[in-house]
Amino acid sequence: MGWLPSWLGGSGGESKPTPQVTSDGGVQAPNRRDRARCWEARDAYFKCLDKHNILDSMGPGAADAKAKCPVEDTEFEKNCASSWVKYFREWRVAEYKKQERLRMIEAENAKAQAQR
Amino acid sequence: MPRPAPSVASTARALRPGGATRRAFDNSNPILRRPAPPDESRQLYHSSSRTISNRAVFQAPTPVFAGAQREFVSCRNVQRGNFSTSQRRCRAFKTVQEADSRHRGGGPFSWKAGLIFIITGACLSIYFQAEKARMERKRIAEHTKGVGKPKVGGPFNLIDTNGKPFTHENLKGKYSLIYFGFTHCPDICPDELDKMATMYDLVKQNMGNVIRPVFISADPARDTPQVLRTYLDEFHPEFIGLTGEYEEVKATCKAYRVYFSTPEGVKPGQDYLVDHSIYFYLMDPEGDFVEVLGRNFTAEQAAKVIMDHIKDWKGPLDKN
Repeated sequence: MGWLPSWLGGSGGESKPTPQVTSDGGVQAPNRRDRARCWEARDAYFKCLDKHNILDSMGPGAADAKAKCPVEDTEFEKNCASSWVKYFREWRVAEYKKQERLRMIEAENAKAQAQR
Repeated sequence: MPRPAPSVASTARALRPGGATRRAFDNSNPILRRPAPPDESRQLYHSSSRTISNRAVFQAPTPVFAGAQREFVSCRNVQRGNFSTSQRRCRAFKTVQEADSRHRGGGPFSWKAGLIFIITGACLSIYFQAEKARMERKRIAEHTKGVGKPKVGGPFNLIDTNGKPFTHENLKGKYSLIYFGFTHCPDICPDELDKMATMYDLVKQNMGNVIRPVFISADPARDTPQVLRTYLDEFHPEFIGLTGEYEEVKATCKAYRVYFSTPEGVKPGQDYLVDHSIYFYLMDPEGDFVEVLGRNFTAEQAAKVIMDHIKDWKGPLDKN
């Protein structure tokens, strides 16, 4: 599985990546190519979630997300470190709430403007 | 032998308000636009109509400059009486062109005066704005210089990507652009580091070698010198990467008011994220804090802010 990012240890499937430890005791970070691959998998996964109207892919929504987007879910988990996967899932919900709040504020502003 | 008196026709030409004067005080020009002629001036044209047959005179009573009106009045009055005796007194403004040129050069609102006024105004406005921006930058830059002001930054004791000690003393002489982050950062740090590379190149291109780009890791357990070097080379080979003992890194973050959440005593295999502030810190050649640049700045905007500060700097600046 040579195409897998080095920090995944070349092992695919469900097994979690074994981080590559450098000779001075550090842990090698994903490089630019690894990041691009992870972001690509994430975007494909989120697009699928959008299609099925799923916002939260954690907790109660996890099973539904997995059932509707099995391929994308697996690719996402495979190409991103688990801390990143968790971060991006949370980010998706937070970002939606943020946009929702912005829309609300804008709508209120528009209403106030119209009343004036 | 007196000169022959001007004919009625030429007088009419001289009096015609729609002649050359119309060009000078055109109604379409908002600056020169004047109110409709008062009844007085209308009266003036009417009385003259008795001697002048040309209907154009009172057909279009275009408003004329008050001074010009007076001149015509005096002319008209004498002409109505006796042509041969009035001729000498009227000679000063025999034609509209003459009267026109007189007033065009001598009025208080000539185009030259207007132009000078506008240019002076524009220059002053530009100067004051530039000066205001400079003072604002000075205020920001010197904010932390005084006594009793909250300090951002300060002494630290870390190691660079060669494993050599690197302290706050190593930052002096040049400006420095400092960013805190960690190499396992999912999405924000990589974007910001790409931006930092552009900022650094822009400043170096325009101002010379007067700034140090510094990345300080907030995750010393995983970010060793070797990891940092490999990571930073992807963004810019000249980036300085700093890491160190957990306590030293924590103290550095505290000095720079960076939120530090790194867990202590993590094992190499552990997978975790670190929360951290996402600002660029600009420090002056004396190691004092100048300004923070947030994510809202583009690389170009941030580079401009930095270059403006560098241009203001009066002290010694290491360009090697």
